[in-house]
Amino acid sequence: MKKLILLCVFNGLLLAESKSWDSHSAYLLPQKRWEVGLFQPFRFGYSETIEYSTFPLWFFVMPNVSIKRIEKDMAGFRTASRFKLMYPTPLLNMLARTGIGGMIDPNFQMPPMLGLSASWLMSKPVAGLDLTLKGGLDLGITLDDLDPRSNIDLPLVYHRLGIFYNKWGIHTGLDVQKNLTKRIRVLLDLDLRLLPGLADVQSNPDLANLMGDYSLEHKLLLIWNKSDRFRIITGYKLVKGKYPYGSDMRLLPYIPMMEQWVPIIEFQWAGKRK
Amino acid sequence: MKHIISITGIFLILACDPFVTEFPDSSDPVMFKASNASGTTYVYDGLAIKVVTWNIRFGVGRFPFFGDSCGDSVIADNESVEANMAAIADAINAMDADIVLLQEIDLESKRTGYLNQVQYLLDNTYLNYGSYASTWEADYIPSDGIGRINMGNAILSKYELTDAERIQLKLRTDQSDLVQYFYLRRNIIKARIPALSQSGKDFFAVNIHATAFATDDTKEQHINKYIEVLGNIDAGSGIFVTGGDLNSVPPGSVIDFCESDMCVNDDFHTENADPYHKEGSYFENFTGEPDILVPLYDTYDAAIDTASYNFPEHFTHAPSTSMIDDTTVTMYDRKLDYLFTNGTWDSGSGSTHQAVWELSDHMPVSATFMPADD
Repeated sequence: MKKLILLCVFNGLLLAESKSWDSHSAYLLPQKRWEVGLFQPFRFGYSETIEYSTFPLWFFVMPNVSIKRIEKDMAGFRTASRFKLMYPTPLLNMLARTGIGGMIDPNFQMPPMLGLSASWLMSKPVAGLDLTLKGGLDLGITLDDLDPRSNIDLPLVYHRLGIFYNKWGIHTGLDVQKNLTKRIRVLLDLDLRLLPGLADVQSNPDLANLMGDYSLEHKLLLIWNKSDRFRIITGYKLVKGKYPYGSDMRLLPYIPMMEQWVPIIEFQWAGKRK
Repeated sequence: MKHIISITGIFLILACDPFVTEFPDSSDPVMFKASNASGTTYVYDGLAIKVVTWNIRFGVGRFPFFGDSCGDSVIADNESVEANMAAIADAINAMDADIVLLQEIDLESKRTGYLNQVQYLLDNTYLNYGSYASTWEADYIPSDGIGRINMGNAILSKYELTDAERIQLKLRTDQSDLVQYFYLRRNIIKARIPALSQSGKDFFAVNIHATAFATDDTKEQHINKYIEVLGNIDAGSGIFVTGGDLNSVPPGSVIDFCESDMCVNDDFHTENADPYHKEGSYFENFTGEPDILVPLYDTYDAAIDTASYNFPEHFTHAPSTSMIDDTTVTMYDRKLDYLFTNGTWDSGSGSTHQAVWELSDHMPVSATFMPADD
C-alpha cells in the first residue's frame, strides 16, 4: 500500500501539468501563481504538485483550507485529489441570533464542528471540450450534541451543512468547458450531493419522508478572460433538491424583495508571486 | 436541441417562484382531502350542524414563542408538536364537529418540524375535506431563526368543500417596507359546502383571523371587509356559519391588558413609555374600536350572546406567558374568538372549551347550527 502511494506521488510529480483559471479541473495553478475572486477562493500554486486555496473573506468566521494535489494519470485523464477542511462553528454561532439576520434559533449553541471533504478529480479534453469528472466523500464531525432543529433550510446551505447532521455525505459532478473565442469561454457543470440515510435519521414516520437527502446543482457561466490577470464571469446557478419540507428548485442569485433573479457577476484577479 | 432549450426554460421559470408569497385580492386556497376520505362518506341528515372555531397556535400549545408572548423560544421540538397536535385532533373528535374553522395552522414550517398540520388533522379526525389560505408564506424568514414558514387559516369539514376563496385583507400600514415584506398577509377564507344546502340555499363556511398587533386602523378595515363578505352571502340568499379569531374584545369588555401582558423590563403606561400601550394588548387604537363588533352582534346570531360574552367562562385567550403570580398561569382573561350565523344557533349550544387551555393560547368556541324549517 505504501509503495502504491509512493508510486502515485512519484507519477504525479512527473506528470504534473498546470493551467490558469481552472479551479474546477484536475489541473493545478502554475507554481507561485495566485488567483482570487469576489466570491471565489484565494488560490495559490504552492509547487508543481500542490495548490492551496481558502475563502479569505470567510476565513475569520469560518476557518477553511483546501489542498489540491496532482495524482497519477488514469485512463488518459489528468488526475488530482483535493482535501478540504472547514470549521463553521464561529459563523453558525454568529447566525444564531435574535432579530434580523438570525438564521438559527438563538437558543441553540452550535458545538465545535469540523467538516472534511476528499475529492478525486479527472480532466481530459474530449471533442474540443475540457471535461472534468469528480467525486468524493464528505465527513461532518461534531464534538458535542448538534440539535437537528438548528438546520438552515436554504438552497446551497442545507445540504452542505447536512453532513454535520448526517455525519457523512457523497458528492459527484461533471464540468464541461469550451472556448467560444480566444477570450470567451463557457462553463457548464452539474453537481450532485447525497446525504445517504438522512431520511432515516428522523424516528417519526410522519416526518421521515420530509427529510432532504439530495441536492442537484447546475451552473452555466460565461467567462471573459480580459487577460492572464483579470476576468469577468456571469451566469446562473440552478439548485434542485429535497429539503425537510419537500422538493424545491431555485434559480440563483435571487433577490427576495425584488422577487427577481439576477445574473451572477464575478470578478477575478490573478498574479504571480516573485 | 429545441427540446433541451425548452426544458431548461421551463426549469428556469419554475425556479423563480417568489421568495415571499403575496396574494391578489381574491385567489384560490389550497384544497386537501383526508387520506382515508373515501372510506368514510358522510351523508347530511338535515339535522344540526356542529361548528367550531379555534386558533390552534400552530400546534405548540403554551410554548413560549418569541413572537406573541414574553417567550424567547422559536423552534418547537417535534415530539411536543406531535403530542400537542394529537391532543388537538382528540379534542376535535370529542367535539364531533362537522365544520372546524382553524386559525394559525402551520404547513411545513420549520418552527413546527415541517409537519403538514392540515393533512395531519384530516388524517387524524373525523373530518374529510380541507381548504387552506396562507397568512404567512415565505421560503425563508431571515430573523430569529424562523426559516421556512407557512401559516394560515383553514376550513375543515366532514363534507366536501367547493368554490373556496381566499380573500386578502389590508396589510398593516404601521410597518417599514422591509418588515411588511416578510410579515403576515391576513385573509378571510370562504368555502361552499353543497351537502349542507338549506332548502335550496347555498351553505357557506367563512373563517377570519384579523390583525392582532396593528396600531393603525387596519383592524377596522379587516372587520369591515369581513362584514362586507358576510353581507354579500346574506344578500345572495346564502346561509353561512362563520367565525374566527377577530382579535377584538366584545363591547363592554376591559380594553387595556398592557399591565397583565407586560414582560420583564417592559415599560408601558409611563411618561417615557414608547409605545405607550403594548401592541396587541390594547383595544382602543382608533375611535370606535371597543364597539367594533356591534354590527356583527346586531345583524347576526352569535354563538355566545350579548348577555354572556363578557363572562369569564367565555374568555378564549390569554398570552401564553401571562402569570397571575409566580406559579399560577393565566389560562384566559379575554374573549377574542367568535361564531356567528345568518341562520340560527341552537339556543344554549354556544360553548367555550376552556378545559383544553393548554393546547393553545386560544380556546375553541363551538355551537350547533339549527336548520331552518322548510
